[in-house]
Amino acid sequence: MTALGELTRPWQAMSYGFLDPSAKREMRRAMLKAVAVPGCQIPYASREVPMARGWGTGGLQVTLTLVNPGSVVKVIDQGADDSVNAVSIRQFVQKVAGARGTWDTQEATILQSRHRIPEEKLREDQILVLQVPNPEPLRPVQPNMSLARQMHADADYGRLWLVLYEQVVRSGRIMQGASYPALVNGRHVMTPSPIPRWDLPKLDMARHLTLLSAGREKRIFAVPPFTRVQPLAFDDIPFRVEDHASLVCHRSGVAGFFMNEIPQPDGSARHELSDSHFGIKAIRRSEGEAVEIGETWYRNGAVT
Amino acid sequence: MAYVATRGGERAIAQSERLYREGLGPIDRDRVAAVADALPWLVDRVMGEASLYEPELAALALAQTGGDLYEAVLLLRAWRTTQPRLAIARPVTQDRLFTHRRISAAFKDIPGGQILGPTLDYSHRILATEVLEGRPLTPAPVQKADRPAPPHHPSLAAWQKAQGLVADPAPEEVAPEAIPDLTREPLLFPAPRAHRLQGLARADSGGVLALGYSAMRGHGNAHPTVNELRLAEAELRVPHPRGTVFSAGRVKVSQAEVAAKEGGTRIRLGFAATLGWNEVKVIAAATLDLNAPGAAKGTPTEEEFFLYHTEPVEASGFCIHFKLPHYVTFQSALDAMRDANARKTQPPADPLLRCENTLGGSGGRSAPGAPHAPAHPAKETTE
Repeated sequence: MTALGELTRPWQAMSYGFLDPSAKREMRRAMLKAVAVPGCQIPYASREVPMARGWGTGGLQVTLTLVNPGSVVKVIDQGADDSVNAVSIRQFVQKVAGARGTWDTQEATILQSRHRIPEEKLREDQILVLQVPNPEPLRPVQPNMSLARQMHADADYGRLWLVLYEQVVRSGRIMQGASYPALVNGRHVMTPSPIPRWDLPKLDMARHLTLLSAGREKRIFAVPPFTRVQPLAFDDIPFRVEDHASLVCHRSGVAGFFMNEIPQPDGSARHELSDSHFGIKAIRRSEGEAVEIGETWYRNGAVT
Repeated sequence: MAYVATRGGERAIAQSERLYREGLGPIDRDRVAAVADALPWLVDRVMGEASLYEPELAALALAQTGGDLYEAVLLLRAWRTTQPRLAIARPVTQDRLFTHRRISAAFKDIPGGQILGPTLDYSHRILATEVLEGRPLTPAPVQKADRPAPPHHPSLAAWQKAQGLVADPAPEEVAPEAIPDLTREPLLFPAPRAHRLQGLARADSGGVLALGYSAMRGHGNAHPTVNELRLAEAELRVPHPRGTVFSAGRVKVSQAEVAAKEGGTRIRLGFAATLGWNEVKVIAAATLDLNAPGAAKGTPTEEEFFLYHTEPVEASGFCIHFKLPHYVTFQSALDAMRDANARKTQPPADPLLRCENTLGGSGGRSAPGAPHAPAHPAKETTE
């Protein structure tokens, strides 16, 4: 006879990966829908997690649903692995899922990021999870979620082009900084989260899956592998990334990647690589260590 | 490794948390009990916003956060969301509430009577400074009424319905497992009535008050009259696997019904209820419910507006998230600003031509300096 104890697991204070099975099931369904309709915002319940809303709770719920004990997890904020909130998230995932943490883009199987995509190319076996503060590219022209949803259904995006056109008229160029809106798979306009324009071409026809999740706003969307991601632009005024191609990192000497600008007391500014571990690897290699650096999306400051 | 040495994130966050907790000192059972005993109304407020009725856990959350209400609510919500659903209790009707306090402003007297119950409404708000001089504030004993008030009272709305003053739609039969649950489903609009009432029940008391008050001052179309306000205990009647229904205990609840004229012939009601006793919240929330039908999009009494903006965990979390670094986003904007400024110093005649001229160029990286803002800031999409 089978005893009840043999059929059940011992009591635990929390489920594996913190989220309970019903929450994970809902997440998986939402993720599958998001992959099936690229760029379309899929609503989900978004459970509370032991972190404040707006601090990566959407990305965290995706990561906690995807993670398994064999996962290798990299978490970055503004490109840095040791930024305080990235550290906090990585430690939490390691604690509740027993997964290994890493700083190395090449080594990671799940990469959760706020505001950056690493400079090294991602592969088919890697998943990028972007934290999203505001999932709605239409918010500035339509703050009501319910009306914006209708506009997406109608592919009614004219007002977004109008915003860009107004910028051109007022300032002589498109002024949109980060969160540059892009058309996904020729159908849905999405915000790629507040990544710099520099990172947006990395999503176009990429080999990896990108999941974008907004915990506070309860929306998830995806860019599946090999999906077209086209920044909104005009025939005569094309999309432009930040003019960082010629900047040189004062720590590593590397040029041609997205940089942080560090103001100096004498009124000048220095630059350093925003992808911090990419910089560390470059320094190590220059010091003679055998460090493997992956192929990069940009070469000599231009998308390859 | 000069690069790494300049960074100390992991150690810094560990120490900053220690510094905060050191200020609070050790948290033990005695402190939790002291919080529960001394601050029952605060415990009620936190339980309502957490939508978790457990006074001891709420007191623990308050003790553990030193009384930071948003942190306490987040602790309870994050705990609550991982708990299994054991059973769905039977619906509670007003006439089955074990009622401590029940008042109506709509009539001088009502069937079942006005029951004042515990309240500070008519007290003089004088700070008892003598307590600090060593003379405790010892409450005078309550003198019992000759006849105890009945524990159960009919709802005033039932009388109004019988009079034809209030619409009496047939109750909708919903299977227990089919009741919409805001904590397990996304909120979409127009929201099911269950979602709206659940959202208001767990809303931020201060947030609901701010928006409800804006409606009361005239930013809504209906002036609320308190039809009935109750502080009560609701019995948790739960089906047993054997088929019987048993009481699993009682929870404190507050509810408010506010009334306004509808088209001159009828009374329209707004309703709100929450776990714990919190009168301000339910009156304000019922006022929002009352004003919601037909409210224009983007106004404080419109359902999408008040449900999104009174959610305490979302609102407080997003507010404090602005402390996180945003330097990549900022850098991305600087680039465009400098380029635009460089163009302004040498503007060609035609704005569209201006862009074409520099498309292939370096983009004119000017010397660092404060970029001057245009007269009307250009709108950007998100952030």
